[in-house]
Amino acid sequence: MIELDVLLVLAYVLVFPGFIFLFGYSFFAEWFDRKMYAKMQNRVGPPLIQPFADFLKLLTKEDITPEKVEKVPYSLLPILAFAAIATAFVYIPVFVTTTPIGFQGDLLLVLYMLTLPTILLFLVGWYSRNIFATIGAYRAVSQLFVYEVPLFIVALGPALWAGSWSISDIVSFQQSHYCLFLIQPLGFIVAIMCLQAKLERIPFDIPEAETEIVGGPLVEYSGRKLAMFRISTDMLMVVGSALIVVLYLGGPSVGFSLESLHIVVQAIIGFLAFLVKTVFIIFLLSFIRAAFARLRIDQMTNFGWKWLASLAFIQIFIIIGLRVVMA
Amino acid sequence: MSEMTIPIGPQHPALKEPVGFKITVEGERIKSLDLDISYNHRGIEKAVEQRDFNQSMYVIERICGICSHSHATNFSKGIEELMKVDAPRRAQYIRLIVGELERIHSHYLWLGVAGHEIGFDTLFMYTWRDRELVQDILELISGNRVNYAMNRIGGVRRDLDEKVISYTLKKLEILAERTKFYIQLATTEETVIARLGKVGRLTHEKAKSLGSVGPTARGSGVNLDVRHDDPYLVYDEVPFKVVTADNCDVLGRTIVRAGEIVQSIEMTKWALENLPPGEIRKATPRLAPSGEVVSLYEAPRGELIHYIKGNNSDKADRFAVRTPTLANWPSVVEALQGQNIADIPIVVAAIDPCMSCTSRMTFLDTDQMNSWVWTWNELREYGIKWYRENKGISWGD
Amino acid sequence: MTIPGAAFGELLRSLVKKRATVLYPFEKVEVPDGFRGKIHVRDDLCIGCSRCSVVCPAQCIDMVMEKEKKVVVFSGKEIRREKHPKVNLLSCIRCGVCEESCPTKPKAISLTKDFSGSSTKADMYVEPTVP
Repeated sequence: MIELDVLLVLAYVLVFPGFIFLFGYSFFAEWFDRKMYAKMQNRVGPPLIQPFADFLKLLTKEDITPEKVEKVPYSLLPILAFAAIATAFVYIPVFVTTTPIGFQGDLLLVLYMLTLPTILLFLVGWYSRNIFATIGAYRAVSQLFVYEVPLFIVALGPALWAGSWSISDIVSFQQSHYCLFLIQPLGFIVAIMCLQAKLERIPFDIPEAETEIVGGPLVEYSGRKLAMFRISTDMLMVVGSALIVVLYLGGPSVGFSLESLHIVVQAIIGFLAFLVKTVFIIFLLSFIRAAFARLRIDQMTNFGWKWLASLAFIQIFIIIGLRVVMA
Repeated sequence: MSEMTIPIGPQHPALKEPVGFKITVEGERIKSLDLDISYNHRGIEKAVEQRDFNQSMYVIERICGICSHSHATNFSKGIEELMKVDAPRRAQYIRLIVGELERIHSHYLWLGVAGHEIGFDTLFMYTWRDRELVQDILELISGNRVNYAMNRIGGVRRDLDEKVISYTLKKLEILAERTKFYIQLATTEETVIARLGKVGRLTHEKAKSLGSVGPTARGSGVNLDVRHDDPYLVYDEVPFKVVTADNCDVLGRTIVRAGEIVQSIEMTKWALENLPPGEIRKATPRLAPSGEVVSLYEAPRGELIHYIKGNNSDKADRFAVRTPTLANWPSVVEALQGQNIADIPIVVAAIDPCMSCTSRMTFLDTDQMNSWVWTWNELREYGIKWYRENKGISWGD
Repeated sequence: MTIPGAAFGELLRSLVKKRATVLYPFEKVEVPDGFRGKIHVRDDLCIGCSRCSVVCPAQCIDMVMEKEKKVVVFSGKEIRREKHPKVNLLSCIRCGVCEESCPTKPKAISLTKDFSGSSTKADMYVEPTVP
């Protein structure tokens, strides 16, 4: 672990690669996703500044709170969701293979932080006192029960293989040995599908099905609070794909060791590698979004338990078996 | 979980036009529903009664934007039958060509809308991109992309020359290739079949007893097609097949519409290659004799009925329209029993609803500035009472 | 037989194909001949017979009196035109019946290929102009 003093840690958490960088990168991620989605449909897509412009526009709109809702939870929940996701990102190494605040078990902390937004979405739908929001809320929770189990299991796989619960150790393992995606391809595929379900995008768009229940749980939100939720969704996409990149694709490491170069050059190369890998994952997510129709909640439950959970279990048993054989 | 009542419409992202549902659900299952279709009455039948035949053609064309040629052709052939005038053969062929091109464009539009309702926006973008090919052909033939204004009492207004015919044939080849891709996508893509298959069940007997028409009925195996049963224009000369499917659900209706696109492309190609020479208009008398005529047409959504009553003047005395969507609404109520909330948009979209093309009735009291509507039961009671008092027929209770 | 990826090939091909969108108004849209666009009335051909005004289904053509009678040549004879048509562009449905009923050769009232329709209140009406 690198010894830094408090000011540098604050800069790490708040500016780069913490809060401000995450903010900017999630705008870029949303733009990239929308542009690829449009290109696959033979259209033009928005210009680069579009997500930022949407965010600014929402900030200027009138913020209407319905009369009978409870004001404190209604206003507080968007901020909590935003905070949970932003906190999870600082534990993921972005330009070198370790983070200054990582510890044993921060993988579990990140996974729990990423579960929090969905529970908060359920509470949002519940507190909105609108029938469409209620339907969206219970659909969000039903979907949560289906994909959480496979997601946790395929996040467990790399930790088992690398022998540690710390994300930084997993990345260091991949730098010195090989990318874990080569050993656990099934885990990689299941992780991508579960991330798509966590982000609530087509084909798992069920809580916010526009043509069925208008806006889902967020139907009553407008103005600043809606802007907070939308940026939280984009940040969740960045954090989720960053998590898959560090667990399976090696994070900011490249195939060979860079000890011979200057520390700043190492950081730049690592950072560029991280960017390329996360952009690749976002491209895969856009591709899946363009290729399928939206499933129904009972079909999603069927699919989740039949394919996602069973493939995840098969993968973990293979990993355990190989570990036992090699020991 | 307890029961909730959800309003779908009159304003809803799933509906393109205003129609109101009040759906009682328990969890995700639908228990019962209530339908209200009386929004936006326009007064078209009254407007037609105040204009002469050639001017009212333009009002009738604008009853619906997607099946505008159907309404105009149906009206023209009704008036021609009343005046006992036959349009020349070349004009009939041109009317058939534009009618079948309109059917292609309407079914492509439906494929896109169905894709959007199930969340498959890619299909929506692709089909609407290829629909532009048909729109370009129609723009070259008639001068406009919708509301073609090709018809006149006694014939058509524009002719097709060699350049137009060769352009059309070239574009239809491309369109046939693209249609094969969409049929393959709709019948083999896993998620599309999961959303369309076994959804919105309408059995063969129910389809017949509720009076559904068009692809809604043909998707349940009912062999009803006005072009085959009662041929008009030159449909007895052009070779085609009536497409039916036995699935009795939304996937069946999709297969029927996709099959009809293929049939329409073949019919248009045959008609373009075998276009008879001759004039395109015949002079007609200015006044229509007294009499009543009922004119039937197979619009893209089903069987369209126009009733025209002439009284020896240059205006129609009474003009009534029974559109296919009005005949299909009861089947929506039947098909939604026991389905999930998630199926509501696609089951409603499966009949291809066009509220512009749904006959509505409203009561107006201009002294009191009041307007109201009747429910189905009130209308039925009134009808039974009127027939008992005025004609002596008793329809039972 | 159902496969879960029937659209995959088409999606990847569309990534490299040219876009189907026309970036109007930066790129021009081609309209074919015979397109029914904005009305144009020719001052040197119109004889003021009012046929267009009578047959118009939308009743959007008014005949207004001339301030000074204009001399127009029609099939060899000189005619002093007394009134001219004034077309309301907002009510016009671009059907083309006026063009069909006009007796002059070439047609005095005709439909151009102009499809863009936004304008100020000043040019909501079309009166005869020299081409």
